Parts: sequence; structure tokens; C-alpha cells
Amino acid sequence: MLLQLNNIFKWVQSGGQRIFLLKDINLEVQEGEFISIMGPSGSGKSTLLNVIGMLDAFDEGEYHFLEDSVHDLKEKHRSNLYKEYIGFVFQQYHLLDDLTVQENLEMPLIYKKFKGSERKAMVADMLDRFNIVGKKDLFPSQLSGGQQQLVGIARALISNPKLILADEPTGNLNSKQGEEIMDLFKQLNDEGVTIIQVTHSEKNAEYGSRIINLLDGRMI
Amino acid sequence: MLKNYFKIAWRNLIKNKVFTLANIIGLTSALAVALLLVMTALFELSYDQFHKNKDSVYQVYLSSQTPRGLESGTSQPVPLAPALKADVPGIKHAVRTLSDDTFATYNDKEINLDAEFVDPAFFDLFTFPVITGKAKNPLSEKSSVVLSEKSAQKVFGTVENIVGKTIALKLGKEEQLFSVSAIVQDPPSNSSNDFDIIIPFENHPEYASNIDRWDSQFHLVYVQLEEGVTPDQFEKNTQEFTSLHYQGSIENAKRDGAVANEDGLFMQFHLLPITDMHFTSFASGAAVVKRTFPYMILGIAFVIIFIVCANFINMNIALSEKRLKEIGMRKTLGAVKKQLFFQFWLESLLVFTASTILGLVLGNLLLEPFKSLFNTRATLEHVTQPKILLIFGLSIFCITLIAGGYPALLMSRLGTLRALKGKMDLGKNRLRNSLIVLQFAIAILLISGTLVLHGQIEFMRNKDLGYNKEQVISIPLNGKKDSYQVVALLRDELKGNPNILNISGADNNLGMGRDGSSMSSMMGFDYKGRGVVTNALTVDYDYAKTLDLEVVAGRTFSRDFAADSLSLVINETMAKQLGEEDPLSVRIPIDDGATTYSVIGVVKDFNFQDISRQVNPLTLFLNNDWDLYYAYVKIAPQNISSSFDAVEKAWGSIEPQAEFLGSFLDENVDRTFRREKTMATIVTSGSILGILLSCIGLFAISMLVVAQRTKEIGVRKVIGASVSSVALLLTKDFLKLVGIAFILATPIAWYFLNEWLQNYAFRVTLSPLFFIAAGLLATLIAFITVGTRTVKAASANPVKSLRTE
Repeated sequence: MLLQLNNIFKWVQSGGQRIFLLKDINLEVQEGEFISIMGPSGSGKSTLLNVIGMLDAFDEGEYHFLEDSVHDLKEKHRSNLYKEYIGFVFQQYHLLDDLTVQENLEMPLIYKKFKGSERKAMVADMLDRFNIVGKKDLFPSQLSGGQQQLVGIARALISNPKLILADEPTGNLNSKQGEEIMDLFKQLNDEGVTIIQVTHSEKNAEYGSRIINLLDGRMI
Repeated sequence: MLKNYFKIAWRNLIKNKVFTLANIIGLTSALAVALLLVMTALFELSYDQFHKNKDSVYQVYLSSQTPRGLESGTSQPVPLAPALKADVPGIKHAVRTLSDDTFATYNDKEINLDAEFVDPAFFDLFTFPVITGKAKNPLSEKSSVVLSEKSAQKVFGTVENIVGKTIALKLGKEEQLFSVSAIVQDPPSNSSNDFDIIIPFENHPEYASNIDRWDSQFHLVYVQLEEGVTPDQFEKNTQEFTSLHYQGSIENAKRDGAVANEDGLFMQFHLLPITDMHFTSFASGAAVVKRTFPYMILGIAFVIIFIVCANFINMNIALSEKRLKEIGMRKTLGAVKKQLFFQFWLESLLVFTASTILGLVLGNLLLEPFKSLFNTRATLEHVTQPKILLIFGLSIFCITLIAGGYPALLMSRLGTLRALKGKMDLGKNRLRNSLIVLQFAIAILLISGTLVLHGQIEFMRNKDLGYNKEQVISIPLNGKKDSYQVVALLRDELKGNPNILNISGADNNLGMGRDGSSMSSMMGFDYKGRGVVTNALTVDYDYAKTLDLEVVAGRTFSRDFAADSLSLVINETMAKQLGEEDPLSVRIPIDDGATTYSVIGVVKDFNFQDISRQVNPLTLFLNNDWDLYYAYVKIAPQNISSSFDAVEKAWGSIEPQAEFLGSFLDENVDRTFRREKTMATIVTSGSILGILLSCIGLFAISMLVVAQRTKEIGVRKVIGASVSSVALLLTKDFLKLVGIAFILATPIAWYFLNEWLQNYAFRVTLSPLFFIAAGLLATLIAFITVGTRTVKAASANPVKSLRTE
């Protein structure tokens, strides 16, 4: 088992009233799964993803990740945990504009204090694997959306995470680019990486092994 | 339309509350301080400018080539002025003036007055308007005097109907009667001539004995040149005159090996415009006119204004990024460049107007504390002249135009589509960074100046001056009694007090006393065919013992030796000048051998003059015919304040009429560098304000930069950056700028401070530590300013920053 959510609640206080963003979420994810989270706008998909990614806190419930109880961890340990095991992919790619492709890939490794030679090898490896060696010295603004997302995924993978969280990874791409990215995810999943994605598209959701539907913060 | 502009401008200012407030606070304080500083500087520069004849009146000074190099002095002999007027063409008036104290008696009231002994033409040269009495030539009679309004109040209690009244003045040892011929307005505070009473020159006690002596020089001479005559012509016209009247001195100079100046002359008269007098120093030998102090103040005012303007420009440009969409929108709606410019400029104008008004109010409120803190007598009157007000208004307008107009121009010039897309690429960071660098360079300059100034003051305060300054009180003998009698009475009165160790007297003070007067007395004589110049000091018995002077050879004056009035005690420098192996063997014949002085002792060099000067040759005399002007009382280190009270009480019983002005010598020494202290206070406050304002700017900029980089911070955190690494990343950019500022500022600061320290014979060494400390301080302050912002940004939850798009 990779992670387990028990009775997770999350709410915001508005005018003396609690507005629930997540309501009684129970979820168990095994290693090697490919899960798609679906639901209309505002149903809490991204919030759930952020909670799983430990970027966002929750108000009630238990969250176990591998051996750790996330709800009991301090901020610092929590960030160490997600740094180690989770990679993020965003709809807007969120590459650093001032850095080249190569430097963008290198960044997480620097933060994890890998040595220079090791970093070079890992970056070269990743460039190779994604077929973007020729683009390594370009800046994000010089790439197409699909290529940028490719770099985004490569950056998420570079430190060998157990889990990839993808928030509408194809939302800004055309259908052909989107298909390529989804094929890539499928391939990664086959190689053993656990993936949780948020998506609007039925077609993309089909790539997953399991679909979770959300409505107003509730799993249905 | 205009109303709409105002409405939008107002809303925008309110929307960016923090920045508007930061700008208004910064501008207000900077303008208030600049106003006060400019006032002080203008006051200094206005010295002696009120004289109507300022363009044709000059002070006469004599430059002499001596074996020691060029020496210049303003002290002149009594016959000089009449001789100049009679023999040298082109001179309209020549006037002697001499400041001295006098004791006035009227109806049993006895008052010490600051007297100016002058020739009648004094009132033709200088503008001191007559209030009542004889307006024209009020000093035509030898027995007439002119009083200032203030002293008339003091003596008579009124200024009405006192013209023609008689007062008694004590001149020298005797009292004479004078009649008041006129009352003049008090000399303004920016006058070099300050007086209570003006007395015809012939009445001075030294006048009669010196009427034909060219070798006794003790007063000032002013001349007014005829129309069309230049100072150059005067210098040429006096060459022959000088070689005639100073023949003896010139021959001595030649004999002793002095080198003639480029005109082949050994002595030359020069003229100093009276408006330069206040700024002139003769310390280096030549007359050097330096207006450093007022210009420095103006400079500080200028850089403070610069710093806030840089803040303003930086913040406005940075803020405009938020408004790009608005600009684009307005352009699509049909706004033209001019309208946009006006819109943005109006906002700046509003901020500036508010700040100017607040600045004026604040300046007025701070006026009194400022005056006492900076020890200036400047008033707002010196600023509120139409011409200056016009310049002031114009400069405010120009600053508004530049500081407010530049960002407005940048924004209004943007292309419509580019603005709508929210992209602004103006190379603005370069301007922003250079402004920040300049701000911090200025701050570092001011901080290192502050450190060095305080270092020098501490150095001067702690320097061993060669005498005991902690335990000795000096008392100006401003009473009516004979000075030796007063000292004797003091000894008598305080005999039984175990805390009073020694009492003595001298004719000059050490440091600057509470009487505020200073003088020096020099004499020259021939010794073994060589001219020797020395400072002269008349002392009473126990002088060396009272001041803890160290006797290195022989003995000091003693009551056990009857003939000590023909004995001399000299200091080491004087002994060196005399060049004898055994200084105690020196015999000096004076007045063509009529009397012979012999040296009986040598004291170790002590700083009897300002600490800015080297220790010069000094000779101590013991002669009861020469008056003492100061008493010295040495007290035990215990019960200092009760001993001081005892001395004051004794004084009160001896001289009940005269005010007690005694003070410890260390206070006196402190008083001699009051100017340095004022300068230090101004530079210190300038640097504190400068760095504070720079920090306001830096804080605002860091806030904006952090806002601009929110997304980047979020991404970095999500891919694993720690709080400290992100904070460091953001702070580093700013610290780099401070580093560049340090590299720029240090050589400049070093150069100017080194120049300044050259004015002091005894000075603190200019160690690199001063500059490193200044740099570190600036870095630390910048770090704290930026750090608070960046740490906050770095620890924010990345989800929030990534969601906004």
C-alpha cells in the first residue's frame, strides 16, 4: 500500500459557516496504480490532489503515506516526505522561465543536494529518455506547449518518485499533444510508477486503472 | 475630465496604500530635513552679506616669507591704517578695529560689555543702521560711544532718550566718561563683527604707547577701495610702501634664509573680501577660503532628496507593472499618450504636494530642536526671501517632473497590445538597480564619514594633551579688581579647603572657556644673529604645578628667587628652536641689552593651542606688570562637585559683580571642537536618515520583486527548495547591489576623509576598519530589510501562488 486517506475533511470558514471542500474522503492507493480523478469544476479535484501531495493541509481525518502518518508530521518532515517520493505535473507546466530545459531538470537535484557529476548524468539520462537532447539549451518560451509539458514531466520524474501527481496535464494542449502525453503516462505506469491524475476528459480518464468521481467534495 | 483624473488618481493612491504611505513619509521627512539643512547652509553662506559696501570693503592681511615658510596674519600695527590712507592711492577709507572687553558703570550698575574700538569711518564701511541719535558719523568726537540696542537695554533699561547720556567705562586701569551719541541695531547673527558698544579707537589703553610702533601688531585693518580700484592694484600700490615700512623685518627674513615669493618680495599686503572672512583660515600660511561646511550641508540635503526621489521612481515603475492591463485597456478605448502621461503624473503631483505641505509643517515643528541640536543661529528668515522661495518652488517642481514624470512617460509610451498582454520590457531593472546602488553608495559614504568623524573627535578628546584637564578649573577674570589681587584672594579664601590643591593664573586660557574668547600672543627677537619667534604666556607662581606640567630640565618660577621676573621657562619645542645643547645656559638680551632674560627651566611640550595644531614654541614669563586674565584652580579627584561649588562661592565673595564663568579644562577642550561635533551631528543624522530612506525604498522594491516572483517561488518549493534556499536566492540579488555600492563608495569616502583629516596635526589613523564597518553595517541593515520580506514569501504555501493564474 502506498497511501491511505481515512475520513478526510477540509473546509473554509465563510461568514460563520463552514463550506466543505472535501467531505469524508476515504481512499487507498496501491503501488503501481493509475488513478484518474474526475468531476465538475469546483468539485474538489485539485484540492484532493494537493492534499495527497501534502501541499495543502486538511482539517480532519488521517493520512498515511508508506509508514508515516502525515497528519501528525511537522511541516518540515512533510516537505521532506513529498520531496522524496512525489513528483508534480501542472496544467500550466510551471517551468522556471529564466532557466534552460537542462537547468530546469537539474533544479530538483540541486535542492536534494546531489553532486554535480551525478546531476549531469541523471539530467543527460532524462533528456535521452524523453528525446529532448536537442532542446536542452532552449528556454521554456522557445518550446511548444507539448514540449514544455514533456519537460515538466521529465522534471517530475528526475528524482525517481514513487508517485506522480498530475493536475490536468493535458488541459493546455491540443489533442495530438495530449495523446502523446497520456501515452507517456501509460508507459511510465507500466514501468511501475504510481500516477494520480485530475482530468476533465473521459478519454484521458480511460487510461487509468481506476476512476474516482467527485461531486461537491464527496466521493461518489 | 480633470475631476475624473483626480478621482482615478485618488483611488489608485488609496489602493496602493503601503506605497503611497511609504512615499509620503519618506518625502515628508526628507523635505523637512532638507529645508532645515538648506536653511543652515544659506545662513552660513549669508555671513557678512548684509553690508551694503561688501563689494568694495576688504580686510587687510600681510603675507610674510619666513625661514619657516609662508606666514600670513591679520594683526596690524597702529600706524598702518593712517599711513595706508595717506601714502597709497585708491583707498577711500582705512579703518582699525579691535575687540576687547570693557566694564561699564551707570548709576551704580556695573556691566561687562563686548567693546569694538574703531576709527570713525567704521560706519561708512559697515552697515549697522542707527536707530536713534547721530545718524551721520556718530563717532566724530573722541568721547562719544555707540551702543547696540541690546546693550542699551542692559545698561539703561530702555532705548528711549539716552542719546547724550554719560556712562563711565573702565579702559585699562582707569575709568573715563563717555557720552552716548547713537544707538544702532544689534549686529545680525550672521555678522562676523559682534559688539555691545563701539568706542573710538584712540581710547584704547594700548593706543598711545603704540602710536608709532610698527613692530607691535594687535588689531585688524579694513579698507574701502575707491570705485574702479581692484585688489590687484592695491597689492601693486603697496609694494613700495611695504618695503619702506617693514625694512627691518625684510632684512631679518633675508638674513635668516627666507625665500622670496614669485614676485621677489618678502612681505606683501593682500586684501580679503569681507564676505570671505568667515570662511578663511590662515593655518597653512596662505589665506585659504573654504566654504566646505555649508556646501557639505547642502550636499547632504541634496543626497537625501536624491534618495527619496530614487525611491519614488523605483516604486512607481515597479507598481506600474500591475497597471499594464489598465494602460492597454485605456489605449483601446482611445486614450492618447498625453492623456495617459497626465493621468500618471497627476498621481505623483498629488503625493508631492501633500509631502511638500507636510514637510514644511514638520520642518517648522523641528526648527527649535534642530537649532539647539546643531548649534546654529539660522532662522527661517534666511530662507523666506522671494528669490530663494522661487528657487525652492522651482526645484520642487523639477523634482516632481523628473521623479513623477519619468515613470509616467515610460508607461504612456507602451504599445497597446503589449500592455494588454501584461508584458513590460523596458530594461527597467537596470535603472532600478543603479538607483539602489547609488542610494547605498551614498549611505555607505555617510556612514563611514560618521564613523571617522566620531573617531577623530574621540581621538581628540582622549589624547593626552600634556596637562591635567580633568582636575583643573579655569576662571576668566572678568571682574573689576586687579588680577593678581584676585588670584591672591582666591588662594586666601580657599586655603583651608583640603580639596583645593593649587591655584595659579595666566594671561591665556587652555581650550575655549565659557567666556568664548580666544587669543594668541606671539613675540620675536634676535638670538645669536637669528630671528626667533615664540608664543608668549604670562603666568603666576605654581602654574606648572597646578596644571601638572612635567619639568624636564631646571626649575619653574619660585617665590624663593627674587629675580624670577627676568627668568624664562620654555617648552621643548622652543628649546629645540634655540638650538643650545644646554637650554639653561641661554641668555636673551631684550631692548638693546637693557635687560637680559635667562632661561631657568624647560617643560615638556603640552598642547596649549587647539589640538588641530602642532605644539609651537612657547615661553612663559613671570611679570607682575602684565595682567593675568585667567585663574586656574586644581582640585582633588574626590568631591569634585563640592570643590567646584566652593570655588564658585569664593569667587562670589571676591568679585560679587562679575559672573562666575569657571569651567573644567576638559569642557574647554571639548568646546574647541564644537564645530567638529556639529558636523558630526549633521553627518550622523544625515546618514541615519539616508539609510532609513534607502531602506524604505529597498523594502518596497523587495516587496514588489517578491510579488513578481511568486510563481517562481512556488515552483521552486514544489520541486523541493527549502525556505532558506529560496530566501537566500531572493536576498542575494539585493546584497549584490549593496556590495557594488560598497566598492563604489569606499575610494570616494577614503579620499574625502583623508583630505579632511589633513586639517589636523594630531589625527586618528584612517584604518580600513572604518570602511569595512560601514559596509557591514549597510549590508546588515539591507539584509534585515529585505530578509523580513523574502523569508515571509519563501515560507508561504506554494499552492496559493500556483493557483493564481
